[in-house]
Amino acid sequence: MKVPFEWLSEFVVIDMYPQDLAAKLTMCGLEVEGTEEQVPSFEGVVVGKVIGIDKHPDAENLVLCMVDAGMEILPIVCGAKNVAVGDKVALATVGAKLKDGLVVEKKKVRGIESLGMLCSERELGLSDDHSGIFILPEECKAGHWLHEEAFINDVILDINIPPNRGDCLSMYGIAREVGSILGQRAKTPIFSLETDTQQKVKDHISLKVLDADACPRYVLRMISGISIGTSPFWMRNRLIKCGMRPINTIVDVTNYVMLELGQPLHAFDYHRIRGKRIEVRLADKETAFRTLDGQEQKLREGDILICDGEGPVALAGIMGGENSEISGTTEDVALESAYFNPLYIRKTTRRLGIKSEASLRFEKGIDIDNVGLAAERAIFLMNQLSGGTVMKGEREVHTKKELKTMFITYSHINGLLGTHIPQEDITKILRSIDIHIKKESEEGLLTTIPNFRHDINEPADIVEEISRLYGYDRIPATRPVSALSGQKRSPREVSLNAAKEFFKGAGFFELINFAFFSEKDVENFLVLPADERASFVPIVNPISREYAVMRTFIAPGMLKAIAYNINRGAKNLRFFEKGKAFFLSGEGKPYERTAFCFAMTGREAEFFWRDKYSDYDFFDVKGIMEGLMGVLGVTFSLRKTAEPFLNPQRGADILVDGVQAGWIGELREEVLKSYEIEQSTYCAELQFDIILQKVKLEARYRPIPRFPQVTRDFSFFIDDTVPVGVLTDKIRGVSPLITSVGIFDMFSKEKKSVSFRVIFQSYEDTLTDEEVNRLQETIIKELTNINGISLRA
Amino acid sequence: MDIGALQKRVDKELSSIKTIDDVRKAKVSLLGRKGIFSEYIENIKLLDKGERKGAGQAINALKLHTESKLREFEDFYGEEEKKKREAASRIDITMPGKMPLAGKRHPLTQTLDEMIRIFTSLGFSVAEGPDIELEYYNFEALNIPADHPARDMQDTFYIKDGIVLRTHTSPVQIRVMETQLPPVKIIAPGTVYRCDNDISHTPMFHQVEGLMVDKNVRFSDLKGILSMFVQDMFGKDTPLRFRPSYFPFTEPSAEVDIGCVICGGTGCRVCKDTGWIEIIGSGMVHPQVFRNVGYDQEEITGFAFGMGVERIAMIRYGIDDIRQFYYNDIRFLSQF
Repeated sequence: MKVPFEWLSEFVVIDMYPQDLAAKLTMCGLEVEGTEEQVPSFEGVVVGKVIGIDKHPDAENLVLCMVDAGMEILPIVCGAKNVAVGDKVALATVGAKLKDGLVVEKKKVRGIESLGMLCSERELGLSDDHSGIFILPEECKAGHWLHEEAFINDVILDINIPPNRGDCLSMYGIAREVGSILGQRAKTPIFSLETDTQQKVKDHISLKVLDADACPRYVLRMISGISIGTSPFWMRNRLIKCGMRPINTIVDVTNYVMLELGQPLHAFDYHRIRGKRIEVRLADKETAFRTLDGQEQKLREGDILICDGEGPVALAGIMGGENSEISGTTEDVALESAYFNPLYIRKTTRRLGIKSEASLRFEKGIDIDNVGLAAERAIFLMNQLSGGTVMKGEREVHTKKELKTMFITYSHINGLLGTHIPQEDITKILRSIDIHIKKESEEGLLTTIPNFRHDINEPADIVEEISRLYGYDRIPATRPVSALSGQKRSPREVSLNAAKEFFKGAGFFELINFAFFSEKDVENFLVLPADERASFVPIVNPISREYAVMRTFIAPGMLKAIAYNINRGAKNLRFFEKGKAFFLSGEGKPYERTAFCFAMTGREAEFFWRDKYSDYDFFDVKGIMEGLMGVLGVTFSLRKTAEPFLNPQRGADILVDGVQAGWIGELREEVLKSYEIEQSTYCAELQFDIILQKVKLEARYRPIPRFPQVTRDFSFFIDDTVPVGVLTDKIRGVSPLITSVGIFDMFSKEKKSVSFRVIFQSYEDTLTDEEVNRLQETIIKELTNINGISLRA
Repeated sequence: MDIGALQKRVDKELSSIKTIDDVRKAKVSLLGRKGIFSEYIENIKLLDKGERKGAGQAINALKLHTESKLREFEDFYGEEEKKKREAASRIDITMPGKMPLAGKRHPLTQTLDEMIRIFTSLGFSVAEGPDIELEYYNFEALNIPADHPARDMQDTFYIKDGIVLRTHTSPVQIRVMETQLPPVKIIAPGTVYRCDNDISHTPMFHQVEGLMVDKNVRFSDLKGILSMFVQDMFGKDTPLRFRPSYFPFTEPSAEVDIGCVICGGTGCRVCKDTGWIEIIGSGMVHPQVFRNVGYDQEEITGFAFGMGVERIAMIRYGIDDIRQFYYNDIRFLSQF
């Protein structure tokens, strides 16, 4: 909320700079988000008092004014018609600068010397009004700077009012806070209302409230014979500073008093109230109603309506109706000041999706005790600004409720805060915010809460009041009494971390994608409808089509990131991501799984002057998988895959203990094309929860063998139909003395030749040639027994 | 036996040495198994007993001399040879080196890990909860009823009636308290979602939520714990302040600001000229929240706090656009 410093100063004495006050407010819970200095667009303009007006001897349309500029009396030639003797005016003396940099000079107008000029609001850059000279309020002092006297110079505090502090949505409300900080009481505006003795409100209108829960207080006041015009500068100035648009003397007053006292008001054109009666009731059936913004609203049961003799004239607390709206010709006004139950207002605004400055305040709860004062204040200002006669009395319905009482102990306060605030400080703080102390005892206080504090409902709320006004900075910082001991991370976290560290070490960059994707991604990956990954969870109100559903796997996001980077000049990419995938599950809550995805495309590096790099292939991505599983201590195997998005020749399912835990391989060209990727890309995705069950991270020492190892190489011709990977296991199975089997060469001429290097190692003694020879024979026999394998000579 | 001839032979061989190869050859021909000395020593047997001793001594002396000479030559020419090899091994050391492949963790997970490290060292353990959450856990249980004005503060993604994408990690608080009796000391890191997408908002982001519930947990303890966190995360001398605020699930509530790390407190765009940056929302757990999970709010108290990982990372690295975290641009990711 925008709070002009000069306006705020009307209610409390603030003997500090606005910036310092802002800091204090912030530290007491009303965060000042900014202070904006208002600087006039003119210089050297003072308040002048017109002390004489003569006709210009030579020009019919001009007059010569004698203007008191404080230190001297200046002759000013002027063409405006709205100036009278005694008026305070905006006087630009010689040398003054006006809007757009125009400098006022001494000049002769048709033979008469003019030592300055009287200015309109437009000439001063204050508004578009150029209908006459800017006439100032009487209390402005002649000779003083205009921008100081008319509050054009000001600092506006932009205060972020917490959602539960509706009581602070006014100058008076803020002033109350300022008062409690500065040790003062905020003053309500002082004015004295003069009413007509003949005309009485009760003779002109009747009032009935049918639902006291919805509307516990309703006040009607009336003014007659007004003439609506433009509000004076001071009022318009304040409205504008608060971000509101001035409209006319009646509407402006309702807005002004709302900003001043926090009470939303509504003015009806009295003559448009049919049957001369007002009835507050709940809508009992669906009705259409046109609000004054021209919108047709569908009203429903439970909405609070203000009705006249024939039907609704206002949607209570939210917006008036077109049918009773004030117009330029309105002469008699019925003014509503009321308290509506926040729950009802919230429900209606939420459903209709309309919000107004009034509903904003009603929703949070206003001060029911201020309803009468606000009505009086507004009718007084209307009278001042629009003339007319204020009718005597008012119509009022007020269903009174007892104030909330609460008992709070000192030990509760100091115990919760960790402080030793003395009892007298506590009572002092509570009294400063109008919390009444009914009874004091050894243990604590029995308090009553003023009606405007809708946010104080239990002792904890009182503790908050005490703590914020005592000052958070005065509360010590302590170590909790209960011992703090460092916590271990769970096996799951440790495993996830080990996997991430592996990827980092293996040259992969970690990605974070949004957990959303689109139906299109599922199609792009050729996933069939029966597939679990096609049962995605849709979002009711997605941010865009691209992010309309929750992802069921990570790979699409991975491809988007690859495409994004390729489009920006990168060619060689290694990415991984850990994240959740989401799946529908019948009627219940969707379920979630953690997945790991990694992808590589291009080659290790674009170039190195000494070596040549080859493009990534299946064995690069498989090697990463082997490394990852190695780190996690999980054994896995590959199986021919049926994943629709993988090249079946270069793809596989990942099995852990016979359970499918993911897939690996080259993505199909058409899949890549859907993401506009033209280079071959290898990818794998794992369900982490399945892997997690098999993770073995604990390391165990095994003695280093003391005996030398023996190395033997074997070469075989092997038919293409025989998968070579299986053979290494076969060889290893020959003897526990075989500690390592590697493939160090493979080439195809007429036949495919594969060379194995086998390492023999005993922990007990030095292996003899005979022993190794015997094992060598067994290996050769085992392998050549397989169809399609022969020993290469 | 002609010792003089042997002497001549030795002198000749030694004087003709020019390279390390010559040294090796001389070694073989003089001192080798079939070398000249072996031959002479063998021939001693053929001499008369009387002559044997004198000849043996003369040969031995000469052999020792030869060996020492050869060592000298070996050292000298070996050194020369090494220098030649080194000279020949010249390369241009200004050519680029070959870097091993090295990846990086995402700046958000690096930051999150750091945060978790600090809080686990302070005695908090890590708890997790679902991203797709019951509306009850996300709102009602946290004292945010359906028509509460605080719901205006967040824009929620809906999955279906009563099910939402969690808008904060606070529901984990409730889930933990529903299944565990005090004392509770947890942090809940995780992904959260809000319908927002602009320069300062992404529809998905990360939070760390903390909760400590026990007998006699005080507001001053909240100040203590969060001060320790801030000093560990941003440095010992980081100024910080606690400022009253409002959250439906805490009372009293506090916002934690740290001195602006960009301008050092003098005022800039990042801190909106206040010199302070807001980083943590916190407060004492609202009694209603305890009632909702069936804790006896007369017996125990607690504090809770929550912070955005993106925000902490932005401050830590000086990043000015939150969306950068989610473009996955390698030129961004490789900076951290």
